[in-house]
Amino acid sequence: MSASPVLETPSDHALAAAYRAGDEGAAAELVRRHAPAMGRFLYSSGASRDEIDDLVQESFFRAFRRLDGWRGEASFRSWLFAIASNALRDEYRRRKGRQMLSIDDRDLPDTADPHADLAAAETAERLRQGVAALPRLQREVFLLRSQQGAGYVEIAAALGTTPGAARVHYHHAVKRLKELVR
Amino acid sequence: MNDCERLSDRMPEVALHRGVWTAEEAAHLATCAECRAEWELIQAARDLDARAPTIADPSALAADVLSRLAAERAKVVRARRAWSFAGLAAAAAIAVAVLAGRQVETTQGPQVVAEGEPLVPLPELDGLETAQLDTLLQSLDRPVAGGSTLDASTLGEYEDGELEQVFATWEG
Repeated sequence: MSASPVLETPSDHALAAAYRAGDEGAAAELVRRHAPAMGRFLYSSGASRDEIDDLVQESFFRAFRRLDGWRGEASFRSWLFAIASNALRDEYRRRKGRQMLSIDDRDLPDTADPHADLAAAETAERLRQGVAALPRLQREVFLLRSQQGAGYVEIAAALGTTPGAARVHYHHAVKRLKELVR
Repeated sequence: MNDCERLSDRMPEVALHRGVWTAEEAAHLATCAECRAEWELIQAARDLDARAPTIADPSALAADVLSRLAAERAKVVRARRAWSFAGLAAAAAIAVAVLAGRQVETTQGPQVVAEGEPLVPLPELDGLETAQLDTLLQSLDRPVAGGSTLDASTLGEYEDGELEQVFATWEG
């Protein structure tokens, strides 16, 4: 009895190469694979719920236009998040610095312990505002590290800095933010 | 690297369930207020991720991205075609200008205009007889020898006024 063939999930590298060779399905797969995480990254960075879809679309559009810029030193996702961060910054500039954070009823809890959940929601929102207010490199390093578990070498490659500098940015961010969750 | 720094480096990994605290790390965490505060922060940051809205339809989003990319490629192709056309038009305009210049030299320049050859403005062509038109056409069809009918070696013989006229002819 022969073993059934195992269908391997294509790597980001393989999909990027396929797109460069003209396979649009590969690009669609990359979007499906990374769009949800990119949306979460943008939300944590301060984007409002209503504009996340547009920002994710804009970020992937920019990414595919300059796909040759990704050479694999950083993971595709980290590289994408750096582009998403640029898109968010450009949107922020377009609005001339107007605050983008919003708290609406969808952020409020609806579970059995409303008091505890409300406190958690308030802490989360305070943290989100604190993250959004960080200097850009501190914010990106902190989110890539705390939400993606990326190492300093990978973060440095994605953000165009050094691992040592990334470590310093991370610790500055932690120092600023931990007062917000005490 | 002290215990706090070592613990700090491990926090994302443990928070994302890619590892667990060792007994030694857990003991340090239980006694160090600064590390506990950082640990709470890292967990809150992880949970922030979970509070984010979900992308409603990643496939539709992918289609939108591909559509924008295709539209941009089409725009680039159109722009290239427009530039190619503009280049051809410019080349054609230059060629016409050069040929027209030669024609002017043929009909107006010194030692160029043959006696008896009329310089006829186009609107007056209608008034010419067939024989006159034939003569005019023959004169236009005559090949231009050597690319120019002007003998530059004779320029030194001209007066200033005549030279001005030659230069004005060259420059159109």
